[in-house]
Amino acid sequence: MSERPTAQELCEAILEFLGGEILPTLTDQRLRFRTLVAMNALGIVHRELAALPPEDDAEQRELARRIRLGDVPPGTLGRVKADVEARLRIASPRYLERYE
Amino acid sequence: MIAEMRDALQPALSKLLGREVEISEPVLLAGGASKEAWAVDADGEELLVRRAAGGVIHRHTLSLADEFAVLEAAHEAGVTVPRPYGYIADLAGREAFAMERLEGETIGRRIVQKENLAAAREALPLQLAEELAKIHAIPPARVPFLEEARLERMVVELDEVDEPHPAIELGLWWLRENRPPPRPVVVNHGDFRIGNVVVREDGLVGVLDWEFAHLDDPVRDLAFSLVRAWRFGVGGKRLGGVGDVEPYLERYNELTGFEVRPEELDYWELAGNVGWAIGCLTQARRHLTGQDRSVELAILGRLGVEVEYEICHLLETVTAA
Repeated sequence: MSERPTAQELCEAILEFLGGEILPTLTDQRLRFRTLVAMNALGIVHRELAALPPEDDAEQRELARRIRLGDVPPGTLGRVKADVEARLRIASPRYLERYE
Repeated sequence: MIAEMRDALQPALSKLLGREVEISEPVLLAGGASKEAWAVDADGEELLVRRAAGGVIHRHTLSLADEFAVLEAAHEAGVTVPRPYGYIADLAGREAFAMERLEGETIGRRIVQKENLAAAREALPLQLAEELAKIHAIPPARVPFLEEARLERMVVELDEVDEPHPAIELGLWWLRENRPPPRPVVVNHGDFRIGNVVVREDGLVGVLDWEFAHLDDPVRDLAFSLVRAWRFGVGGKRLGGVGDVEPYLERYNELTGFEVRPEELDYWELAGNVGWAIGCLTQARRHLTGQDRSVELAILGRLGVEVEYEICHLLETVTAA
């Protein structure tokens, strides 16, 4: 599965936010320094992610294509929901509590 | 920027109001990539000025001139809206319009939760139905520039994102297979939900955000408030986190004579969720393409999976029925 923004793209968005919107407002020297350190740390995560092999979304593409053509055998909804739930546990785990 | 707006607003508002006015220091309330909102008082009259921003206007949203024309048409039709003051073709180089600035709550999360708005939540189901009945009675000839939207547009938008999302595909498939008999189209607000209305302690005082107005099946508008994302965490209250659907539907049917069935609401609730799931992806695209870099837009690309989960949940419900 290849979700957008990727983890790397999320790092970039946060780096831009910290550097472009937060840093210019900080007058406290200690906070400025620590924000720069945090941005450096995020830069490390970003480069580490860049070294990983790209994810393969061929299976999801094929499934999406078949559903578009109306090829929806029994069990499709269960399979799709399990995948959505797995992604949700990463993107927004507490959301699942709303269905309990 | 503020000094420039001040200098531009004074003559523009004087012209609109037909007299030389003293204006307050304008305050920028919201500045998106495509639209700005300024609060300004002219001789004590509290105004809100919506102005185009430099960025790209999204497809399928109205220009400010058309949005203002819809607001005027709604006002004439007796819809509870901020009083329209006038369209300004050139306000410091961009188009704008002025309307009444309403005091009240617009933040969805607060409307569904705040203690002092409990009475408003009691009143809202019937008030929302009444406003919608008035909106759907606006003669389409009064707003001839509005386009007709159909479900197929969602497929085009999803294809433009070019990402595999089987849950959204399943939703679209079910919507294609189970379409209720189409109703004659009416003027749709297009984004009619908690979050786009102004609420005070005794209830609704204004319907805002007309930029998504279009012609569509009336039930599309009627079901949009049911979409779980617009219940702001109060999932048990199916109507926008504020109340039950039954009195809302009953009042709407009473006023319009449309005899909308609950199954139609279920259908369009699912359609609303599919539309918003795709909306999350297209919003994230605005960030990813560099059109409008923002961490808020970026994360929507990932939070769309919440809506996909709701789509699966609704599909389980309808296929079990």
